[in-house]
Parts: sequence; structure tokens; C-alpha cells
Amino acid sequence: MRTFLPWAVAAVALALVPLWVQSPYALHIFILLFLAIALGESWNIIGGFAGQYSVGHSAWYGLGAYGAFILLQRKAIAPWFGVWVAIAAAVIIAVAVGWITFRLRGPYFVLASIAVAEIIRLAALNWKELTNGAEGILAADVPPLRLGGTVITDWNSKIPYFYMGLGMALFCIAVNFLVKRSKLGYYLQAIREDQDAAHSLGIPLTLSKNTGLAISAACTALAGGFAALYIGFIEPQGVFGIEVSIQMVLTCIIGGIGTVAGPVIGAVVVVLLSEALRASLSSAHLLVYGVLVIIVILTMPDGFVGFIAHRLRRKAAA
Amino acid sequence: MTALLEVRNVSRFFGGVTANLDVSFSVDQGVVLGLIGPNGAGKTTLFNCITGFYPPSRGEIFFEGQRINGFPPDKVCRLGMARTWQKVRPLAKLTVLDNTVVGALCHTNSVPEARQIALEQLRVVGLEKRANVLAGGLPIGERKKLELARVMATKPRMILLDEVMGGLNARESEEIIGLILDVKKRGLTQVVIEHDMKAIVRTCDRIVVLNSGEKLAEGSPQQIVNDPRVMAAYLGDSGGAKA
Amino acid sequence: MAVFLQSALSGILIGGVYALTGIGLTLIFGVMRVINFAQGDLVMVGMYCTFWLFVLLGIDPFLSVVLTMPALFLLGALLQRTLINRVLDALPQNQILLTIGIGLVLSNTAMLVFTSDYRILSTSYSSSSVALGVIRLSTPLLFCFLITGVITAALYWFLVKTDTGHAIRATAQDRDAAQLMGVNVRFMGVLAFGLGSALAGAAGALVAPIYYIYPQVGGAFTLKAFVVVVLGGMGSIIGAALGGILIGMSESLAAVYIAADMKDLCVYVIFLLVLLLKPSGLLGKSRM
Repeated sequence: MRTFLPWAVAAVALALVPLWVQSPYALHIFILLFLAIALGESWNIIGGFAGQYSVGHSAWYGLGAYGAFILLQRKAIAPWFGVWVAIAAAVIIAVAVGWITFRLRGPYFVLASIAVAEIIRLAALNWKELTNGAEGILAADVPPLRLGGTVITDWNSKIPYFYMGLGMALFCIAVNFLVKRSKLGYYLQAIREDQDAAHSLGIPLTLSKNTGLAISAACTALAGGFAALYIGFIEPQGVFGIEVSIQMVLTCIIGGIGTVAGPVIGAVVVVLLSEALRASLSSAHLLVYGVLVIIVILTMPDGFVGFIAHRLRRKAAA
Repeated sequence: MTALLEVRNVSRFFGGVTANLDVSFSVDQGVVLGLIGPNGAGKTTLFNCITGFYPPSRGEIFFEGQRINGFPPDKVCRLGMARTWQKVRPLAKLTVLDNTVVGALCHTNSVPEARQIALEQLRVVGLEKRANVLAGGLPIGERKKLELARVMATKPRMILLDEVMGGLNARESEEIIGLILDVKKRGLTQVVIEHDMKAIVRTCDRIVVLNSGEKLAEGSPQQIVNDPRVMAAYLGDSGGAKA
Repeated sequence: MAVFLQSALSGILIGGVYALTGIGLTLIFGVMRVINFAQGDLVMVGMYCTFWLFVLLGIDPFLSVVLTMPALFLLGALLQRTLINRVLDALPQNQILLTIGIGLVLSNTAMLVFTSDYRILSTSYSSSSVALGVIRLSTPLLFCFLITGVITAALYWFLVKTDTGHAIRATAQDRDAAQLMGVNVRFMGVLAFGLGSALAGAAGALVAPIYYIYPQVGGAFTLKAFVVVVLGGMGSIIGAALGGILIGMSESLAAVYIAADMKDLCVYVIFLLVLLLKPSGLLGKSRM
């Protein structure tokens, strides 16, 4: 219970933010933050708990975005319904890919994950009938969100996105807690620590990793669908590009890998720093990620969370 | 009564190198079998073949009458045969308790239940006070005990211990011998790889001797100790080029 | 037939450049077991060096190789001394992330300094070509391939014939044994990273007259270098040379016989297949 109290307090406080803050820019920052948290937590399931450093998660992000938008454009299905179809597609493809690539270890798995994402990006680029190619898809005619007969929002302000983003981030955090405390969570962490030992203790390696990947890909695709709806435009490089995957990984590394709080802290640091430096960096905003990851890897390999925990433990021991 | 484990004409080749050649033996329920032999005799390779880390090149392995060749290690473990590692492999960033919980989850889906089983096993090996320490920070003696607790938590019918006394001091070895005898009293079948002959003679009912991958001798501890071929094999080893 | 020869030959010529970046990557991996995700960004740095040497000082891009190589050697040696050296014993994943970080810093710094504009380095012979029977080969590509050949041969001579070369190969074969035999393995790491970067710089100089020059151009080179190295077998220099040429060829043949847009897709599919079916690569066993 004591673990959840701070999270619940933070969630309630955040839910009240739009009562005081009306500035679209401030709300925009919050929405970016929620998106980064959701993506970091999604990657954390397979990268953090299971230690499978996928640098190809843009594939699932892009599938979520494209799935939702293609259904909107072709069949006029609202994205918040369409995204579930997209999630299903992402999970099916992820499991198929996992079945082949999870036999690879260490750096070879990293390379394979990049190759898979590149193949999917190139497919999206070239399958013009379906995806509109490099021109991308612009969200047109997003229907208003109705509940019963009443219109809840017609998406003209940032507030509905704020709550949707907050809900999504909380959902991903909750999934992390559930996974971490479940049998699957133990299995994934055992695999991360020592694959052979895990295997000898009765853990089915591929099945466990694939289950983790499926959950991770589903959350990532959900975030992809949300991002597409919020930004209103997608194109292959923007959603399938390796930069998306790298940002997900680095958010977790900077915050602290394999912990639930890590991606949250990583997201806060990265989003705030990027925004603060946006004016001077403009399109070179990934510089923040580059510099931070170098500092973190060299000085605190367990991320901010690990660094603080280590400090606290030392203090307690002293 | 059929044997619990039966190894039938097992050979294992790596490229042109023969690690095991035509090894056969069986282990009856409740027996502690010692597997001994000079360095490089193929003891650990045989363990790896039995527990599914690589399939034998030739021959067959039966566990409770079921042919288990080519079964993956996780399946072998769920069937009731668990092994420890010569070079201990703690899950370093998990606590001692969580390491054992991982083993206990082999036969339950409930984490709280697994925790109960794990605590019980930690008490048996005397690690309950260290339950919340990270496994990576344990000294070697406690790591070996953790391996044992973790393996016992999988509720095995048979355990394979790969040099659980290697690198331990006399007092720690004595504790492990006590644990092995304790486990034996509960009727659990064990195969033990060990270098210390005194420990082997004290714990084992039967002994199989491997030399250069082949079975050299099998018999009771008394027979083995008095077997001149066994002596020769060991002397040959210490006289030869040792790495 | 002429079409086939034409595309196969141009493929081989461009494959030379892939080979060069791949050899750099494999050399670094061989000696330090670190996969350098910044390799393509070092190529990018080489391209910009060449561009500015040409624009400001009028130095021909193919001549400027003699300047970019030492410059990139120093940059690589510096990166190794200050950053990479400190993670040699860390998890491979953390090493990868560190080099990804270095790559991001290089490409984004280039973006800050040079903006994201695409630049073109055009020389008097940029669009000229040489006739060879029925086929025509572009002059810059031909130059590029010849110089690649010279550099590769020189590197090979260095590794096989000189004492330092022996020491590098010994370190790659068995780090501990090399150390016992008195090889300064730390220094060999610096040397290997420097050499690997210099090769990336050379590749950058050689492709500067052929490709657009922009800050993110490195990503494509990094990925291609992995493909080349995995194809040839991690740590094998001859494998990387062969892999580069194979990839160049399959790329240009795929462009002609399947579809121009599909060439990269084909390369990645080949890459995945090699990873899954023969992860040690075509020449995985023979090392260096």
C-alpha cells in the first residue's frame, strides 16, 4: 500500500492541473510528458525487466499510429476504436518477429530488432496504396467523442488530450506494476540476470520473452495511436524511424532501467530539458539525449533511480 | 522397479572432439550417486546432456521411464529434475528471496505461495536472515547454499549437483555435506559431481567414474576406492599437463 | 547482359565504400568487443571535412583523404581514450548505448553548426564517366573504388607485416594472452578505434562527391556497416571486405531487377536471414 500512495497522490494532483493551467503550451508539455512516460514504461517491460534491448520499438509505435489512421481514412472508424485493431496487428507481428529473433542474444538481438523496424518502415514507405507513402496521412474528420448520446469533446482544445494522455500513462505504469509482481515479471527478470540459469529453473525462455514483448508492443502501439491523434499527421520516418526507438530506450536508461519509477523520471528529465533548450537547439534536440546518455552510462549505469537508491542505501548503512 | 534416471549409451561430440562416449548408468529412487573423474573427464558435459542444455549426439536418456532426449531445460526441470551450476549463477540484481521464488514458481502460479515455499527452503539451508540481500553481494559459501535452495524450491524428484563444495572451506563443506545427507533422508534422488573423495564416500551410495569421456568403473564407494584403474586415472591426470 | 554487368559492376564499386566502413567496425569489434553505433556518424564527419576542405581551400575530395584520415584517427582515439575505454567491462548493451549517444552528439552537433541543409560537393568530373566496352562507369565511383582498394591493401599490410599490426591481431585473438605476452592492450584499443574511425573518415571523403551531405546521413551508413560485418562474420576483415562488395552488388541488382525502392528492403531481409541462419557470418571462423 505504501508503494502506491505517492503514485495515487501524483495522479490526483495531475488530474487537477487543467483547473489552474489553461495555457495551451503548458498543457502541450504535459501531454508530451505523458507520451514519453507511456513509451518509456512500454519499453521497460521487455527492455528493463527482461533485458532484451530492442532498438526497434518504433515498429510497434508506427503500427499503432498507422493502423488507427488508415482505419480512420478508409473506413471512417474513430481512432479510439481503430487503435485496438492496430494494437492487435502490432501484437501479432511482434510475436511472429519475437519467435524468430529471440533466439539471438546480446548485440545480435539489438541488430535484428533494428533490421525488423527498418523493414517495416521501408514497407510503409513503399506500400503507397495503403499508407500514402512518404507523403504520410493527415487526420481528417476526426469525429467527436460521444458517450451515450452526448458529445464529450470535439477535440478543439488540449484538455481532452491531456486526460487521455494521463490515463494512458497511468495505464502503462499500472501494467508495469502488475507485470513486475507477477510470475511473468519474475521470469523476465531471471532471464535478464542469467538466461541459462533461468532456463535450468524451469523458465520457458521464448514463451516468456514473447509474452513480455506482446504486452510491451501493445502498450507501445496504444501510445502510437494516441500520438498520431494528437499530432494529427504521420509519415513513415516520423513514426517508424530509429530515432523513435532510441528515444524510448534512452528515457529508460536515463531514469533507471527495470524499475517502474525509472521511465517516469527519465521522461521528466528528458522532456523538460528538451523543451528548455528547444529555442537554442531547434531541430538538434536529440543532442540532449546524446549528452545525457553518455553522462548516465559513465557515471550512473543504473540511471537516476539506481543512483539515488545507492546513495540512500549508503546513508542507511553509515 | 524401473530406475528413476537411466542413461543409455550416451555420446556427445563437439566437432571432432569427443566429450562423452557410450556412457551408460542408472540411478534408482532415493540413491545418491557420485559422478567422479579427473578434470576434463566429461562430467559437466554429461550433466548438460541430461538436463537438456544440449542433446546427446547418440544414445538415450530416460527419466521415470520417459525418453527425454532433446527436451529443453525448462521442460526437464518441470518434469522434476533440477541442476546446480559448477560456476554459481545467482540472479545478481534480485534478492536472495526472489532468486528462490523464481525456482518455486516452477510449480505454482501464485507469487505469495511461491514466497512461502522459498522462505521454507531458505530456512533449510540457513539463509533466511539473508533473504533481502541482493544475491550478487553474497560470499561464495552462501552463493552455493542459494543454488541449493533455489533448486530445492522447484520441488524436484531428483537433483544434479555440480561441485557444490568447490571453493568452500572445511566448515562450509561440512554444512553442505549435512544438507546433502538431509535431503537424502527425505528420499530425494541425487547425482553429485565432486572432487573431494572423502565427501563422496560419506554421501554416496554408488559411484560412477568417468575418464576421457568414457565410463571407467561403477560400484559402491568401497569398490571404487580399491579399484586400481581409478587410482591410475587420477595419477595420470595429476602427472599430465594440467591447465 | 549489359544491364546485368553494368549494375553488378557499379554495385561492386559502391560496395568498396561499404567494405571500408565495415572494416572499421569489425576492427574495433575485433580488438575491443564493442559494436560502434557511431560508425556512420564518423563517416558523416569525414564527409563534412571533405566538403569544407573543398569549398574553403579548393582541395580535391580524393586528395583530401590524406587529411581526413589522420583527423578522424585523432577524433576516434580521443573518443576511445575519454569515453569508450571506461565501459570496456560493462554490459555489451551499455557499450552500445554509449556509442549511440556519441553518434547522437556528433550528428546533432553537425546540425547545430552546419544546419540541416543538404549540401552537394560537385567537381569538374562529378558527372563524367568512363566507357568500358558496352558499359559505362562513373568516374568518381571508379576513383572511389581504386582508393578504397589501396587503403584496404595498406591496412592489410600493416596488420600482417608490422609489429604493431601483430600486436593488434594478437589482442583481437585473445586479449588476456596478448596482455601476458606484454602487449599494451589498452593502447591497442586506442589504436584500433583510431584506425576504425580513420577508415570511416576515408569512406566519408570518398563518398562526399557522390552522396548528399547532411547531418543525419550517418544512420544509413551505420546500418549498412552492420549488415556488411554480420554478413562477413564479426571480427573478420576479409569477411567485411567481401561482405561490402556483396551488399553493394545485391543492392544495385535488386534496384534493377526488383524495384529501385526495394533495394534497402532486400538488404535488410538478407541481413536478418544471415543473423538467423548463420550468425557467425560467411567467414565467421577465420579471424582477421
